Amino acid sequence: MQELSLKIEDLRGSDYERIVNRAEERVKEAILDAKISEARDVEVEVASFPIAVMLVVATADLPLKRRYALSEAKRVSSLLRNENEEKIMEIAGNFKWKIKPAEIDMPYAFALDFTDFLRNSTVLRESKWKLVNRLVLKGEVYLTLYEAARLLEEEVRRHVEERLDTKVDTLPEELTRRMERLKLLWAEKRGQRQFGELPKDVVNAAFPPCIRSLYDAAKAGRRLSHIGRFSLTTFLVNIGMSVDEVVDLFRNVADFNERMTRYQVEHIAGEKGSRTKYIPPRCDTLRTHGVCPGMDETCKRVRHPLAYYRRRIRAVRRKAPAEQK
Amino acid sequence: MSSASSLNFIQRKFAEYYKEHRSEIQPPPAVEKREFGFLMFKEKMMIRHKSFKDMDEFASFVKRVTPSNVYYSSAYYEQPAAEMDEKGWLGADLIFDIDADHMPTPCGKIHDRWVCGNCGMAGKGPKPEKCPACGGQKFDEKTWPCEVCLSTTKEEARKLIDLLTEDFGLSPKEVRVFFSGHRGYHVQVESEQIRLLDSLARREIVDYVLGLGLDAGFHGLEYTGTKRLQLQAGPSLSDPGWNGRIAKGTRAFLLNASRQELEQIGLKKNTVNLILKSKDVLLKGWEKQGPWLAVKGIGVGSWRKIVEKAIETQSSKIDTVVTTDVHRLIRLAGTLHGKTGLTKTEIPISDLEHFDPFRDAVAFKKGAVTVFVSEAPKFRVENEVYGPIENRKVELPTAAALLLLCKGLAETAGAK
Repeated sequence: MQELSLKIEDLRGSDYERIVNRAEERVKEAILDAKISEARDVEVEVASFPIAVMLVVATADLPLKRRYALSEAKRVSSLLRNENEEKIMEIAGNFKWKIKPAEIDMPYAFALDFTDFLRNSTVLRESKWKLVNRLVLKGEVYLTLYEAARLLEEEVRRHVEERLDTKVDTLPEELTRRMERLKLLWAEKRGQRQFGELPKDVVNAAFPPCIRSLYDAAKAGRRLSHIGRFSLTTFLVNIGMSVDEVVDLFRNVADFNERMTRYQVEHIAGEKGSRTKYIPPRCDTLRTHGVCPGMDETCKRVRHPLAYYRRRIRAVRRKAPAEQK
Repeated sequence: MSSASSLNFIQRKFAEYYKEHRSEIQPPPAVEKREFGFLMFKEKMMIRHKSFKDMDEFASFVKRVTPSNVYYSSAYYEQPAAEMDEKGWLGADLIFDIDADHMPTPCGKIHDRWVCGNCGMAGKGPKPEKCPACGGQKFDEKTWPCEVCLSTTKEEARKLIDLLTEDFGLSPKEVRVFFSGHRGYHVQVESEQIRLLDSLARREIVDYVLGLGLDAGFHGLEYTGTKRLQLQAGPSLSDPGWNGRIAKGTRAFLLNASRQELEQIGLKKNTVNLILKSKDVLLKGWEKQGPWLAVKGIGVGSWRKIVEKAIETQSSKIDTVVTTDVHRLIRLAGTLHGKTGLTKTEIPISDLEHFDPFRDAVAFKKGAVTVFVSEAPKFRVENEVYGPIENRKVELPTAAALLLLCKGLAETAGAK
């Protein structure tokens, strides 16, 4: 950040206005479209990026940071898709990827070190990104040009997110004004998005199959595996169940120990210890550890038990007003 | 449960071992960045969050407390002795645990015993999910490391090593294999390359090793775009990665499949008849493109079911939790296993086939001990076969006696 502020002082020239305008515009585009437009003036484009980063950091708003990182990544990836193999190799090289042209006679353009692949693939959802569905040979994962570009987009997103993961103490007055403007815009945009808050009461009917079966097992006093217990507790705490209610749920289990259970639930709820509120593992993790009892229709559209819950709640809500009539 | 005098005796023997074999305990790389944990004989509790700057410091600690089991973290920490939240995670080795507890074995584990912690009902074989008498779910288990269990896990380790070297390109030098000291094998990768992989990335590796989430459509088993329900081609034996494994597994399955087995995987009667009738044609198919197109009437749906079976034979049955946990404590090589008195022993990969846990992991090679054996199956230590023994006082070589004592199948009856 020190470095950046020095640069800002230097910028008080004729280009200053254009650069800062473009910086604000970048963030604005991220807020409104989740996508940043193509560059017109390359110099302005390069110079405005660190300032845009600074504006976003100054908002200290995590969802906005994520959205901005994603938007920048999308910009890069749409640029990359029109590039040839050398250019992709060059950019991948900037991120220290171990990548080389594919030497086997297959529809692939690149062979990428499996650790570089995994670092960027695990957030991608389609089954073609699962390592087990790739050609993996001697430590390298084979990719088409398009797939390499998609993974680079992820790399950029993480990279920008890392740059945003900091704090800024003081911002020049003019930038503060712009930042406040952006914050307002973001609040408006979010206001539109936030009609779907979770209800205060727990809606059992909206539980995904995994949680349903864990919940029923706990109620019936059956012992759950460690990961089963963790998944159930994190889920319930996150949809608004109180620590007391969760502890009560485990009361029928044969080796129930109130003190221990309470301690663990409080920990998970973020009321003790590190103060982190934990969330349940993702669907594919639950599958790996054998917690997933099999998917229903809604499961196919989500990758997280909490997303399932939210989706079902929305479906119930859409129905409810109609029924009242 | 062993009596106090038996526990005393085991602990004394363990102390002797650690005194004489200090140099055989190799430190893990970057020993000063590791957390150590010790399971204690009497208190049955774990001492955690210990750290040592070198093996001298480690040895004098072990001498002072003589633990029943010694563990260290697969993770590297800035401050290994700090509380979990303040340790400062720097990375972790990639570890795999293959344990007979987590897989079916041909022996059916008839040698294992369980006792319900609630009503005291006892039974043979793996513990049930629920006690048939009272529905209780807590059991005292007595497991036994039989030779079938051990060779089953060894085969799983062999498949894992093949996956790690062929597919993941790890050199045999980077992949270390150990006998766990009980009923399985540990495979550990300590190279820099994998150290920073997070838990999600490790889970992808686990799924790869298990063949979990594998969609045969990505491995060559697919329709052509033009003709409906017409297979394009399938994987062949020489293909790399899972393609080749699917081919190999499919061949092995078809070679020996009985009517019953084919029906068991959910194939229709007509398809089963067709497969049995055309076995020769199918197997001959491997000379060219594989069996996928060799016989009309076996559709993609049927092939997928067969491929699932193929995956099962080619995957390695690792414990999923161990590999994905980036803070795991694992047994230190060269230390004793409290359930057997055998050591966790490193095995050069090329020697794995001939490795014999009851010869190569034996820690106590001298002396004999008289013990009172309540119940012991037939077993072997080094070249001697013992048992079955029931309610009898016998003199056994130290290693054999300790195995029974550690397992709680015998009590001391005056040591020599």
